Amino acid sequence: MKAARSPLSDGAAVARPAAAVPAIPATSVEAAAGPSGVWLRRLFFVPTLIYLLVMTIFPLLYSLGVSLFDYTMGREARFIGLRNYADLLADPLVWQALRVTLQLTGMAVAIELTLGVALGFVFFQQIPPIPFLRLLVFMPMMLAPLVIGLFWRFLLDQTFGLVNFLLSALGLAPVPWLIHPQFALLSVLIVDVWQWTPFVTLLTVAGLGTVPPELKEAAALDRASGWMRFRHIYWPYLRFPLLLALLFRTIDVMKMFDVPYILTGGGPGNFTTTLSLLAYRYHFQFFQIGKAAAIAWVVVILINIVTNLMVRWLMPRAPQEQVDTGL
Amino acid sequence: MAIRWVDGLKRGGVLVLAFVATAFFFLPLLWIVISSFKTQLDLFAIPPKWVFQPTLANYINVLRSDFRAQFANSMAVALASTLFSLLLGSLTAYGFSRYSLRGSSFIQFWILSLRFLPAVAVMVPFFLVFNALRLRDTLLVLFLVYNIFNISFAVWVLKAFFDEIPLELEEAAMLDGYSPLQVFLRVSLPLVRPGLVTTAIFCLIQSLNEFLLALALTVRAAETAPVGLAKLQTFLGTDWGRISAAGTLFMLPVVLFTILVRNELVRGMSFGRMK
Repeated sequence: MKAARSPLSDGAAVARPAAAVPAIPATSVEAAAGPSGVWLRRLFFVPTLIYLLVMTIFPLLYSLGVSLFDYTMGREARFIGLRNYADLLADPLVWQALRVTLQLTGMAVAIELTLGVALGFVFFQQIPPIPFLRLLVFMPMMLAPLVIGLFWRFLLDQTFGLVNFLLSALGLAPVPWLIHPQFALLSVLIVDVWQWTPFVTLLTVAGLGTVPPELKEAAALDRASGWMRFRHIYWPYLRFPLLLALLFRTIDVMKMFDVPYILTGGGPGNFTTTLSLLAYRYHFQFFQIGKAAAIAWVVVILINIVTNLMVRWLMPRAPQEQVDTGL
Repeated sequence: MAIRWVDGLKRGGVLVLAFVATAFFFLPLLWIVISSFKTQLDLFAIPPKWVFQPTLANYINVLRSDFRAQFANSMAVALASTLFSLLLGSLTAYGFSRYSLRGSSFIQFWILSLRFLPAVAVMVPFFLVFNALRLRDTLLVLFLVYNIFNISFAVWVLKAFFDEIPLELEEAAMLDGYSPLQVFLRVSLPLVRPGLVTTAIFCLIQSLNEFLLALALTVRAAETAPVGLAKLQTFLGTDWGRISAAGTLFMLPVVLFTILVRNELVRGMSFGRMK
């Protein structure tokens, strides 16, 4: 029932004028609330807003402050202005982590969206036992990324791992998955693809569920080609779910921490150290807290830029059809 | 005739693809569960053994270790944070659904944007502040921090559920003499009970799965299960039997939860943006 305009703005079906003028009640319920409505409104909004403000704005500002100090454990904190940020620019570790993060983001998002959409068309079918198989396929994304990373460390073990055994059964040489720089990055990528492709599939299946059956029948009668069908029949209904998938996946990969932490420890060398992992290491291994805060701020800014660009460029222009699936 | 034959081929192809994909996504999990019943010797057998004498030794080891306390920590924090977030979240979600607020859409957007807040951004300040307050390594801290993410989730998902209740229903209740607060408590809230269950389960899963902040803000007493699992993999060499058993035990509630909300996965995973 949700008419979804953009993934971010409120897409509620209950359309009402923007609540810029509080004097006009939003609903009849509010109108009837009368003078006691003031108290009710406080009850509804004040506790949550205060909690979230205190717990997010304060720490973010505090960390902005910390990032302006030479804040090293065991030493007096010293104000150094933007020096931490200037140091970051000259720090090869940061540039490498940025490259690793962006590489992973680009590759993971591209593979997950392509594969996820393709599988969406497979798992949308109602042929038994596909509806049951769906549940098995959707399982990985519900599990803790840390536990998943740990499991894959076992599966990708060069000597005892199941993956290399299967490769050898196909007559292929064992791969030094977690030890070789290129393969280590590939391993992190594989784990993310394994865990999150089903997420794209889930949203695709949901989107396909919103295509009116008449449209599909008409296309079948017209014998439209595969691409034409995709472009003109399915795409309008997939656009919103896929934009959502793109947004969620891009941002989640950009802040990725758990999997490289447990799977490769960021190694070998720093070939799989993401920005989040680097910030953690600056804090807990190098004890340079000011720098850790500065790197964390880089992640925040990066995510903000990407989110804004995506929403601006990709937001559906026309109001989207209702997104309601029978799933 | 020819068309039916082609259709059958298509069906078969789709089924084959579905089975291959399911094997790819599910076999690794199955393999870990199988491994958890293996002895140390069988675990490292080459080629890997599919048939073996199962043992519960790994589970007994795990249940005798710190893991039990860590698992209890995880559960306690997840439950407490879920209840608290459900309380604040349902109030605010209903508020956004039915009442006006200056800058409502901006505030809603801000709450949604917390979904994108990188944990690493709050790691440093929370570490410093809670360390100074001598609160580090307590469950209270994890509760306070997880609430941020759970409340923002609860507000959005529950708002989607509240929006589906027809206004007429609430108006009728008011004609019957219900006060607006009573309408919320006795009419609307009971109607979104499925939404409350869905939200609660997703909050539980999210809290159980969180790792970075639990790692940064605990030392020993308040360690959660993921932190404990991560520490099983250490200098003494990795005890894969124990890890797979502990991992399986930890997965169990999440798998059960997932089966419970299988029909609401879309709503939960899309932050209430799709149904």
